[in-house]
Amino acid sequence: MQPYTDRYSRQIIFPGIGRAGQARLANSMVVVIGCGALGTVAAACLARAGIGRLRIVDRDFIEYHNLQRQILFDEDDVRNQIPKAIAAERHLRKANSSIEIEGIVADVNYRNIERLAKGADVILDGVDNLETRYLINDVSLKHGVPWVYGAAVSSDGMTMNIIPGKTPCIRCLFPTMPAAGQIATCDTAGVVSSAPFIIGALQSVEAIKILVGAEDVSRDLITVDVWTGAFERLEIGDSPSPDCPACQGKYEFLDARFGARTTYICGQNAVQVVLPSDRELSFEELARRFREIGQASYNEFMLRFAVDGYEMVLFPDGRMIVKGTDDESLAKGLYAKYVGM
Amino acid sequence: MSVRVHVPLPLRRLAGGLTEVEATGSSIREIIEDLDASYPGMKERLFRGDEEPSRFVGIFVDGRDIRLLEGLETAVREDAVVTILPLAAGG
Repeated sequence: MQPYTDRYSRQIIFPGIGRAGQARLANSMVVVIGCGALGTVAAACLARAGIGRLRIVDRDFIEYHNLQRQILFDEDDVRNQIPKAIAAERHLRKANSSIEIEGIVADVNYRNIERLAKGADVILDGVDNLETRYLINDVSLKHGVPWVYGAAVSSDGMTMNIIPGKTPCIRCLFPTMPAAGQIATCDTAGVVSSAPFIIGALQSVEAIKILVGAEDVSRDLITVDVWTGAFERLEIGDSPSPDCPACQGKYEFLDARFGARTTYICGQNAVQVVLPSDRELSFEELARRFREIGQASYNEFMLRFAVDGYEMVLFPDGRMIVKGTDDESLAKGLYAKYVGM
Repeated sequence: MSVRVHVPLPLRRLAGGLTEVEATGSSIREIIEDLDASYPGMKERLFRGDEEPSRFVGIFVDGRDIRLLEGLETAVREDAVVTILPLAAGG
């Protein structure tokens, strides 16, 4: 038996996939945006299922409190300060060396998302905020690429497929985002690992179904509460809303032009600051400067420094994460104060 | 009509931590009024200014989106299950 056939034999036997489906998977590309709990589960399922090309994009590094639910990472990754996208790529290569896996360390935003999603047959959502999801939605509709929404917090999770032109999109269902403070986060509500595990697993199978051309791709919004054991399929209709700006070709999130932008990071009590243009930073120079006023250490992926009781992490593209705060203006101020903007 | 309402996570604090509550009314609009009478603040959270709730939360009657029915005027039967569902953000 050929190694290829042997590796995938159990899912080739499954009639929904079969030999033809497996060949389609091998010729497909999935872009996983966000590699936390959902992203690690989904990426692991997809890599092992033999998706030919897997691109994993994440902006973050790994911390001990991630290990509770982010199954691709281990304590060595935390100690060695390996970014999530890189650690995911390394671990998945060991699980399946026969596919192409590319980890990209980047904050996904309106400037780079079209480049990062280029070539995708399906985009899989593993992000931790709504803004990026509306951005994924715009890119999906603009380029006709299906995406699989998923989210989990507390013991709840939900997922749905967005197939451009054929299903409602996220803005058909939720034209505007909830007000700040009305979104449950992993900080305030916590998260039970089984919730993102189930949702990530459902997302990956929906991606596989879309890729093999299965007829029974889900058209519902699926919700799960792992604590009460409640599963629901909610009917959302089978066509885009005529009032939806995104479905009418108005890509307002993709077209947005933000200035220096801050985002509260779910689960970390941290704020990320992104500047409007990429800037190349010299870690050597900055570390020297920071060591005069505090503590600093760096490797090729990130520079950590602690000053005035704040812990900050800088990335080579000029992005900064300020830990231990939810104050976005404070974070921006610290950026201006210590890095300059 | 008396219906069961699934309370989403962001609204549970207003409902005393309950995941499911009872409410009465013949339409979704009346159900929301009744919820607000029992748990003050619900209406304010579900209507943002004059923006209708369905713009940023999903409301489902017996598993069907009220957008596909009559919106806030959708009639509810006795013992119906009403699900209020904001878009979840965590990942």
